[in-house]
Amino acid sequence: MVSLEVHHQVEQLLFREAHLLDRHDYKEWLDLFTDDVEYRLPLTEYVQGDAAPAGHPVIQDDKTRLMFRVAKDESGYSHVETPKSLTCHLISNVLVEDIPDSPDLRAHSTFLVRQARKLRGEAWWAGRRTDVLRSVNGEWKIARRDIELDSAILPRGISVFF
Amino acid sequence: MSLRHELRSLVNYQDGYVAAAVHFDPDLYRVEAEKVFNRSWLVVGHEGMVAKPGDFVTNYMGEVPVIVLRSRTGDINVLVNRCSHRGNQVCLFDRGNARGFACSYHGWSYDLDGAMQGAPYEDIVYGDTLDKPSLGLKHARVATFHGLIFATFDEHALALEEWLSPDVQWWLKNFVLSVPVGGLEMLHGWHRYASSGNWKLASENFAGDNYHVWASTHVAMTAVQRDFAERGLHTPLDINAGSSQATPGTVFDLTAGAEGRAPLGIGVVATDDSMHTSDLRVAGRLGKEVVDWLEYRRRTYQELTAELVRKPKGFWHGLMYPNLGLMGFASHLSGRHFLLFHPRGVDDHEFWQWTMVEREAPDVVKEFAAEHVIFGQHMAGVVAPDDVENMERIVDASHAPTTWRSPFHYRLKLGLDAQSTSADLPGTVVPNPSEFNQRRFYQYWMNEMLKEDA
Repeated sequence: MVSLEVHHQVEQLLFREAHLLDRHDYKEWLDLFTDDVEYRLPLTEYVQGDAAPAGHPVIQDDKTRLMFRVAKDESGYSHVETPKSLTCHLISNVLVEDIPDSPDLRAHSTFLVRQARKLRGEAWWAGRRTDVLRSVNGEWKIARRDIELDSAILPRGISVFF
Repeated sequence: MSLRHELRSLVNYQDGYVAAAVHFDPDLYRVEAEKVFNRSWLVVGHEGMVAKPGDFVTNYMGEVPVIVLRSRTGDINVLVNRCSHRGNQVCLFDRGNARGFACSYHGWSYDLDGAMQGAPYEDIVYGDTLDKPSLGLKHARVATFHGLIFATFDEHALALEEWLSPDVQWWLKNFVLSVPVGGLEMLHGWHRYASSGNWKLASENFAGDNYHVWASTHVAMTAVQRDFAERGLHTPLDINAGSSQATPGTVFDLTAGAEGRAPLGIGVVATDDSMHTSDLRVAGRLGKEVVDWLEYRRRTYQELTAELVRKPKGFWHGLMYPNLGLMGFASHLSGRHFLLFHPRGVDDHEFWQWTMVEREAPDVVKEFAAEHVIFGQHMAGVVAPDDVENMERIVDASHAPTTWRSPFHYRLKLGLDAQSTSADLPGTVVPNPSEFNQRRFYQYWMNEMLKEDA
């Protein structure tokens, strides 16, 4: 079981991340991830009986692909983020656990993201994340993020981060 | 005013003007449900989705929910997902394997052929009065083309092999479904998202609109793509970073489909070597087996197109009338995107997308191909969300009834329509870029809307 202090550090990391995203401070947000990060969002679907697994996920990003998304949106010509979406990331239900035989930690959290676009556009995103956190030079970084999104049909294309 | 008169004034495809009303008028939308989605052969999936008996996927034909399944005897059935008793859903899942379907309301049950099996307490409550043979799930007519499953609700519809003209079949078989190099393999799962806008905004975009890519919509993506490639920051979009380098005069748009037959619009057909050069650059990174496979593919298609003066290597995008979008054919390292544009009321639609890869491709190519799909023309990619943003804006700017009569402009390369023909590719061919395919799409759509019932 992790100490209260470590639990607090992890919560602060996840809360700080939410603030950075809602302020569109993507450069600093990217620094929260290790260089070899894996950022994945599998397909949500309703399957009955014996069925083959989904052929590919919805998002399968490495650091370069995350940087690509940020660079595109910061170019000023990314229509889906012009004007920028207003987002409010609520992060809750944080559980932190040790990973056996590893100095890394696993953190589970729940998110609720409200995205507002232009005059009336609105999307609500909800789900859970499982992060692997690694201490790099004394700071916790996100080395892997697996996102479960509670939408079988997305309310709109994804142009925000979870 | 009669619909005939009304439509002819709204859809002036000859001059490249189509009134906004076709995307906003609920009266036209109701006619469309009958004349387009109740009558056309619609793509509902691929045989790879339902490989073994009992396998099913659910989908829509227009706004009608259907179950696409493999029966006990190996046939493909397309059944309306609607109980004959009170119209309730009988299948609740996106895909899976089942022995039959039962309604949650009163428990009427059906087998994989849609035949009614029974009702709870049947003997007691109905005695022998239940005419089960007439109470099965409704069937759509089904036909397949090299694995692609089509269905129609029109019992008088042409046979599928007539609905698909020889030139359409040539493109579907050889380029879309990769039959000469062993066919396609399914990567299971629907990737779905909602979007504002009439479904035809998506269809016309896939039929012929590549002007938007360079003009405005995707300039941020293409600029970052080039910048990252130059800096050696690799993404799956590297294969497209070179596709703008085609030799002028070697790329074409075309519409396949004979008079009165369903059109297949194809944009940016490349006949020079730029695609192969771009693929080879990335293949060098993926390994020698990938280079060898690309050369094998190249030889196979050289033989296939030996008789043609201009030899197509691939294309960017396409639209099989009325609502199957196609992408991922501009590089052999890309996955194949199949996208259905389902109507959801006059002002909204849903994208239902699935991915396939070439069966005989090296595993490393299959992985790269899937990553290319999801990072690009996909609901979480860096391409598609910008497209649907435009559709959302169009709805806000054009939905007022007083603007419905003002036409949208489809006049790009209008004068060249008559000169088309002789690029020696299957279909009717014009230089790229053009809005020829959109004009053809609306011409065909209008004629279908005006057809009397058989």
